[in-house]
Order: sequence, then C-alpha cells, then structure tokens
Amino acid sequence: MTTEVILLILRVLAGLALLVLLGLLCFALWRDYRSAANEVEARRRVYGQLIRLQKIDGTYTPTGETFPLLPLTSLGRSPTNTIAINNDFASSEHALVALRNGQWWLEDRQSRNGTTVNGIAVSQPIIITDGDIIGIGAAQFRLELDH
Amino acid sequence: MFIEQLALDQRQAALARQRWTERALLITAWVFLAANTLALSISRGDFRLEAWWHLLAWTVCAIAGVWLLDKRLPRRDPLLFPLALIMTGWGIIAIERLEERLEPIFADRQTVWLIISVGAMLIVASLPQVLRWLRVYRYTLLVIGLALLVSTILLGSNPSAQPGAPELWLGFGTVFFQPSEPLKIILVAFLASYMAEQYPALRAEGLEAEHRLLSLSPRILGPILLMWGLSVVFLVWQRDLGTAILIFVVFLTLLYVASGYTPLLLIGAVLVLIAGIAAYQLFAVVQLRVDIWINPWPEASGDAYQIVQSLFAFASGGVFGQGIGQGAPNNIPVVHSDFIFAAIAEEWGLLGVIAVIGCLMTLVTRGLRSATLQRGRPFTALLAVGLSLLIGLQSLLIMGGVLKLIPLTGVTLPFFSYGGSSLLTNFVILALLLRLSSESPSPTGER
Repeated sequence: MTTEVILLILRVLAGLALLVLLGLLCFALWRDYRSAANEVEARRRVYGQLIRLQKIDGTYTPTGETFPLLPLTSLGRSPTNTIAINNDFASSEHALVALRNGQWWLEDRQSRNGTTVNGIAVSQPIIITDGDIIGIGAAQFRLELDH
Repeated sequence: MFIEQLALDQRQAALARQRWTERALLITAWVFLAANTLALSISRGDFRLEAWWHLLAWTVCAIAGVWLLDKRLPRRDPLLFPLALIMTGWGIIAIERLEERLEPIFADRQTVWLIISVGAMLIVASLPQVLRWLRVYRYTLLVIGLALLVSTILLGSNPSAQPGAPELWLGFGTVFFQPSEPLKIILVAFLASYMAEQYPALRAEGLEAEHRLLSLSPRILGPILLMWGLSVVFLVWQRDLGTAILIFVVFLTLLYVASGYTPLLLIGAVLVLIAGIAAYQLFAVVQLRVDIWINPWPEASGDAYQIVQSLFAFASGGVFGQGIGQGAPNNIPVVHSDFIFAAIAEEWGLLGVIAVIGCLMTLVTRGLRSATLQRGRPFTALLAVGLSLLIGLQSLLIMGGVLKLIPLTGVTLPFFSYGGSSLLTNFVILALLLRLSSESPSPTGER
C-alpha cells in the first residue's frame, strides 16, 4: 500500500469517528429528553382510583370515598401516607400499591393485621388488576384502572 | 422491600446507561485522536514520540477523570466531561500539526496544561462547599480578581515580546498567565450571587406591570453596575476588548434571566450598539477590525491578511477537509490560538466544523439544562446560566470573527485554542457545571 492509500483510510476513519461522535451525542440527548418527557407525562397522567367499600349484608357497597391512584401509593393509618385510613385495624404503614414495568403491584409492609386481595392474604408482592378488592385491616378498596 | 428494590434497580440502570454514554464518547474520541496522530506521523514522514506522548497523557487524563468523577460525583451530567476532553484533545493534535512554525513546543505545553487543568477540575469538583464559597466570599474574590487585573496593567507583559502587542499577561519566568480569564468566572459568580439576593426585587413581586421599571432602581442595580463597570473599564483600558464585550453581554443576559423583563434585551442591544460606535471612534484597533470586516480585500496582503487567509482555509477545506498534515493552515498568522477554528476547517472540513459546533452547543445546552433543573435556587440557576453563556458566547464571538460574520474580537476558542490560562479557566467552569448538574434534582424531584 502506498502512503496515500493509508492516509486516505485514516482520513475516512477519522471522519467516521466524528460521525459516530455526533450520532452518540444526538442519541444521548434524544434519550435524555424522551425520559424527561415521559416522567413529566407520568406525573400528569391519571391512572385510576381506589374506591373505598363497605360490607353491608355480605355485599360490597361504595362509601363514596375515592382516592386517585399514584404510581407509588402508600396506605396506612399514619397521615403521611398517600391514602390515610382512619381505622384501628390498620398499621401506620400498612401497604404499598405501585406501578412497575406496566403492572400494578401490591405489597404488604409487615402490617399487624395483614393485607388481603379478594379475601386472600398477601404474603409477598402480588400483581393486581382492575376490579380486585384490597383489604387493609377492616377497610376495603376496589381497584379501578383507567385505560 | 421488593417494590422499592425495583425502583432502585431502575435508578441503577439509568446510572449504568449514563456511564455507558460517557465511556462510548471517550472511546470514539480516542479512535479519532489515534487515527489523526498516526496520519500526522505518516504525512510528516517521521514518527516523533511526542505526538504519542500527548495521546498517552490524554488517555491517562480521561481514565483518571472518569474514575475519580465516578467516585465523587456519580450523579453528574455524563456528557460534560467527555465533551471537554474531546475538544481539548482535538485542540492539542491541531496545535501539534501547526508546530512546524512555532518555536517553543506549544503542543507539549498545552498537554502539560491539560494535565494541570484536569487536576484542577477534579479538585474543584470534589469540594462539596465550592458553590457556597463562591456566594459567601464574592467580594473577597472580586477584590482579588480586580487586584490581579490592576497588577497586569502595572506589570503586564506579552509572551511574544513584540512591541505594541497588548500586555495582558503576568509572567513568572517562562510561565505566563492571563488574569482576565479567571476574572470572568469571579464576575459571573458575583453577578449571580448578588442577583440571587435581590431576586424578589428583580422579579418585581407585588408590583403592577406599569411600575416594572421601578424594580430596576439604582439602589438594586447600583452595586452591580459599579463592580461590573469597574471591570469593564479595566479591560477596555487594557485593550482586552474581546473579554470586555463578552462580560458586557453576559451581564445583560443574566440581568434578563434574573428579572424576566423583556425590554431589557432591547435596551441591551442599543447599549451594545452605542458601545460599539464609541469604541469605533476611540480605538484605532476597533476601527481597523470593523473596516476589514466590511471589506477585507483592499488590504488582503496587509492588515486583513489574517482574516483573508482564514477565509481561504475555509474554502480549501471543502466538505471533508484536506486531511491532517495535508493542508496549509500555517499561512494564517497566529493560527494556534485565535484562528484554530480556521485550521480545523481546512484539515477536517465542514464535517469537522459541524462536530466542533455540535460539541460546543451540546456543552452549552447541558449547562442551561442543569440551570432549568435548579428549581427555587436562584443562585445556582443563575450561576449555571452565566457559566454556560461564557463558553457559548465566547465561542460565537471567535467563530463568527474567524468566518468574517462579525468583526474579529481576540478571544480564544474554548478548549481548542492554545493558552494555559484559558484552558484552566474553562476546566474550572466545567468543574462548576459538573457540580451544579450533580446537585440538581432529577425531573421527578427525587434526590
């Protein structure tokens, strides 16, 4: 190979490196702005609500109280929770409802009286769907998701 | 707990993505630099070890920088550090290529300055209190800056030792230092902290719209105008007009950002125009610069030789450039400092010019982005705006000047140009931006 050919190859290599550099910059900026936009979007979005229920004669009836669902919703007796439950059977930090990877998860936070889904006790995090009834101590909530 | 663990995993994945971006950028830059170093050696026909030492020093700086920043500032903006290193490395190889004509080994010196600058950047970036110090000791800093400027007027010299050249440097033996460079940071920090203190007044909270001008009363503006005027007077006295106009524009923009009062921009434009006309009447240098900007061709081999050669360099560069070591950028006088952009245009062409502008633009927008994330903290927000503007406006001034879009002002192209004090200052600005970006909360408000 002559010197000219090697120099040409090196020029092409340097030019390609510059193009890759610009591409990487554009990609990093695009990803950053997209994730920022997603996060802003996620905060504005309405996901659904938790409807407080009351058991009358074996059937569940809404009490009229509804709580908007947030990507991370905490339930418990303490007023610092997203949904504060005024109920003696609820622990101060009772349970968490969270959106992860497109699924809604329910987790018991080692509460004294336990958390239930459709009457079954929750021992480890579980996926919940539209219409499930969550029991926190003596209080019940129905999950309603907006699609 | 499980759900919190998932959230933590997501945050760690984001962090890993950021680290990947940083490393990928640095590796690409290394390939670019290595290809150019090899091409330069081949086209010169001699494999001097110096060029490879520069690449090695750059690599060590990159690795040490990433390693230490990962330890000290894991939540920093991942683009800032690679961008600065890419630009400095590119500058060094360009200076190395221009060396045929330059007597003391400029690229060697620039490499030593790179090592010093990266060290200074790491120190400043790991000081947890550095932003508070800038705010608390603003008057002390300003007095030090002005004292340095006065001592330059009294004792100043010029490294090239030509008679009549502006004497903007303080010499210590063979090392020269330009005090107007650190003064830029000090002045921006001062303006930001003062305006942050007067923020409610500047924002005119509780004032009717028609009484808006009242908020800019002399009581609030007086101290700012005094300090800023003093600095500009000193700089004009020294004929350092490029830095003077830079500080003038940064001041007006910061005032606009702090007050959100649009007519300020109009007033500012008129003021710049008046200052320009006054300078045209007062200074022979300015008159000459404006005259050769309007029409360089009658003086093409005289006073306008530099700018005309620069335009030729751009023209001969074409789209892909002549290739390193294969153009003739040494026809431009003092090409290694103010006109390095023309040398890059000749040897790397339009592609190189776009890459240069892309790097600088990304750096500035990242700085401005970290300013927008400083919610409810006017000082850090204004500081981020001011520091980004320093780099952005200085680049615009010199790139526009070299391209004959605006009259030439003698400032350096940040990170690229030869100049130790300029490089050191820019890396300290970078350190402050890194600190600001890692202290800003993420868009969701999580810390």
